[in-house]
Amino acid sequence: MKEIVFSTLEQLRNYARQQGLTATFLYREEDSSLMRFANSAISLNTNEHLIAIEITVYDGSRRASYEVIASPGDQEALLRGVDTAAEMVKHTMPLDYAPTVTAIKIDFVDESGFDAALAEMSSQQKLEYFNAAAAGMETGELRLGGIFSSGINVLAICSTLTDQTQYIKFTDAQVNVVLSHAVDKWEVLAEQSAARKTDLDPTPLQDHLSFLVEHYRQDPPIQLPLGKYDIIFGASATAHMLHFMHWIGFNGGLMKRGYSFLSEAEIGTQVLSPLVNMADDTSDYRTFPLRQDLIGMDRSRYPLFEKGIFRGFTYLQDEADEFAQPATGHTVYHDSLTFAGGDHPVSSLRQLVSEPRDTDLLYFPYLHYANIVNPSRGVLTGSSRFGALLLKKDGTIAVPFNVRISPSLKDILGSQLAWLSRESEANNISLSYGARNPQAIVVPKFMRVNGVEITHSNSSY
Amino acid sequence: MLDDIKKQIKRLQAQGATYVDTRWYPYEERNSLSMWNGNLKDTNATRQSGVGVRVLYKGAWGFSASSNVEQLTAIYDRALENARVAAERVTFPIRLAEKDILQASFASPNQVDPFTVPLAEKVDLMKQVDAWLKDDAVQQRSVDLTLTRRLAHFIDSEGSQIEKNIVDVFTRVEVSSQDENGVTQERKFRLGRRGESRGWENFDPAFFQEISLRIVQELKELLAAPECPKDDRSVILLHSIMFLQTHETIGHALELDRILGYELAFAGGSFVTLDDFGKLRYGSNKLTARANATLPNSPGSFGFDDDGVPAQDNLLIDRGLLVGAITSRQMVEEANARARREIFQGSSGANRATAFYRVPIERMTNINIDSGTDGTLEDIIAGTEHGIILDGDRSWSIGSNREQFHFGTEIGWLVENGLKKGVVKNSTYKGDTLKFWNSLSAVGNASTWKMHFVDNCGKGQPNQIIQLGHGVPICRFDNVRVGE
Repeated sequence: MKEIVFSTLEQLRNYARQQGLTATFLYREEDSSLMRFANSAISLNTNEHLIAIEITVYDGSRRASYEVIASPGDQEALLRGVDTAAEMVKHTMPLDYAPTVTAIKIDFVDESGFDAALAEMSSQQKLEYFNAAAAGMETGELRLGGIFSSGINVLAICSTLTDQTQYIKFTDAQVNVVLSHAVDKWEVLAEQSAARKTDLDPTPLQDHLSFLVEHYRQDPPIQLPLGKYDIIFGASATAHMLHFMHWIGFNGGLMKRGYSFLSEAEIGTQVLSPLVNMADDTSDYRTFPLRQDLIGMDRSRYPLFEKGIFRGFTYLQDEADEFAQPATGHTVYHDSLTFAGGDHPVSSLRQLVSEPRDTDLLYFPYLHYANIVNPSRGVLTGSSRFGALLLKKDGTIAVPFNVRISPSLKDILGSQLAWLSRESEANNISLSYGARNPQAIVVPKFMRVNGVEITHSNSSY
Repeated sequence: MLDDIKKQIKRLQAQGATYVDTRWYPYEERNSLSMWNGNLKDTNATRQSGVGVRVLYKGAWGFSASSNVEQLTAIYDRALENARVAAERVTFPIRLAEKDILQASFASPNQVDPFTVPLAEKVDLMKQVDAWLKDDAVQQRSVDLTLTRRLAHFIDSEGSQIEKNIVDVFTRVEVSSQDENGVTQERKFRLGRRGESRGWENFDPAFFQEISLRIVQELKELLAAPECPKDDRSVILLHSIMFLQTHETIGHALELDRILGYELAFAGGSFVTLDDFGKLRYGSNKLTARANATLPNSPGSFGFDDDGVPAQDNLLIDRGLLVGAITSRQMVEEANARARREIFQGSSGANRATAFYRVPIERMTNINIDSGTDGTLEDIIAGTEHGIILDGDRSWSIGSNREQFHFGTEIGWLVENGLKKGVVKNSTYKGDTLKFWNSLSAVGNASTWKMHFVDNCGKGQPNQIIQLGHGVPICRFDNVRVGE
């Protein structure tokens, strides 16, 4: 397969050179499978094999792109794509800055993220995994849902400026197992992210789900009064909050456009709690790392926060060009965000629940439908879902109806942050809008934040 | 190619498939232009082609798609194999509601195919709009233009064969600046329905000039405005937020697959149950909502859905009473069986996929609110004692069963004793869905009704972003919490 990719790109590069063009060629291939469960059945079993080639032609500070999704053997369509981009660039308008053109300096092949065993998992094996994760829990009312999404990803890029090519191939899997109550309308969730088949193990999912199901069946439901609560966020909720920092935090381009709660003046200063250590770290294989960006720039570890001190913004190459900033190697489809654990020795929900506590704690595992209310202030809003628990001071447990919080990221990760669990995990936040783009953020399994205000409380599930 | 597809469908039927359909896209093209502060940052075009195959085997779906149509047999084999594995876990064997067998075609109305317009002309229009947005008070200006067209063939094992040729145009114009507190304020505009056709003729420079100057002026007012108060009052929703209210708390809540639990593992469910149809008072008697895919010129009008069912105009809520849903052939059969009564008489023709490589699911068409009898905006303001007029979607967050919501809006104007007062910034409102719609106290007349286009509605796994429309009048709701 690799040879076909290289050969296709070589043909395109040669053709563009013959036409006297300056051009880059980005090859993306995905072989995706998704087994979806709902109402205890496999509601859908799909696979999609797509090959896309994006051709960008430059003429000074003008540029235009043309993307073809078609058969790689359809050489005529691909060459026509070069011609189309070349024609488009004549009629576009010049930028007021000089865009950097990709120049791959060495042949770079990275298949370290590819796991043949994961790539070759059959539908039957995925079904067995799901059956094991839900073992013993399904009833007529308690129904299985979720997804087993997996795929092979290939990214390759070259340009007319050099003879070299960059090729990255990796595998990924995202598993969400949900048990939902058809009458009471509550749902509990367990998740797993995998870059290799050996990352997959249904046992902890079954354990987590059975614990939650037991409590949702036996403990009293409660509508929480509005007010301030000490909250233990689960890995998914934390990962989703951090995901927003890609947009309204350390993204340099958006900061320059006024859509960030961080400023250039804060670089080198204490912005968040000293407990916060965050980086873009491609050495962690769980993040599906891209070790070179699409410009060909090396992506070594890039610190974002060290003991709460802000270390700097990340820039897409185009935004670095536009705002005259140094490139940071972030022209990628996804970063490798890692949020280091702390010193609190709790590694499972069972352990968290069994810990003595001197106040009521709200376990908030998942942030449903979160959105940005005010980017300049870093204010988000979202609701609890998928297994929240009220861990009462007296040791008992209640099951809260879903609640809404609307905090600022600076508060959550700043003065209100109480502790981080020692253990971390990769939380897969892939959405796969359009092209497959597996993305996982490594976060502490649990994060305690004190004094978070609940702004809305449901009166039922 | 069409003959090859028919042969493959017959081959799979011979192997036990009870239903097979194929969507073949000879092409789907997109032209996207994005200008930021006068820089044409993106000049992109895409062209994709391929085949998606859906197979029903022993009551379970399998799907396979590829851009490599040279391997047609392998695509069909894979779809059948996927269905065979899915058939190992079936709890309610899938049946499809009856439909008419059709040999048909649909072409969206447009006078000037936007793909025939020279790129330079498109760029010139964007430069002109950008120039209208320039003002000392404006820090960021953006103008986006997206044009799409596709030729799609639908063929199924029941004998239907449908050809669709659809053109869409979308645009977005936005200005923003930071206020004295460093908080970004913004105003934007998206092109909606302007007449009966949806081609390049929609890009009338005079119209864009008027819009551009208005949003710049409103941004300037926002920059000098006080904060939105935090209290309970009436909210008067203009089109650019009323569409979102309709979308999130009527549209998504009434998708039948959500009601039946098929989205519970991700997007969520619905507070609506099958028992509610014909009984639930969804809103006040001023509320009538419908799914109308027959309206000319909207991305929510597509001729035939991806089950091959013709577009329809169906009531969802009739004078406050819940009467209908957004449905497909599969879901109406299951819903009627589960409810042990015939709630739905056939599919409403709302099963759509975003691309050849995605499987169709229930999607909104044009989810509209009928205009009312409460006059113009001025009339509604005059009848409001303590309120706020809101416009512009800024953020949206909704409970997992669509039972509650929180929306951020771009701009608000206070209303006191029937008079429109000054602008306020950072305006938000929230509520419980049923309580909110039952507090609907005024619905503007036909002169206030406008069709808003949505180009970014996400749903499903794998995720699909689809385009649709919402025709809405100006509406007022009472006792709503604002400013949180």
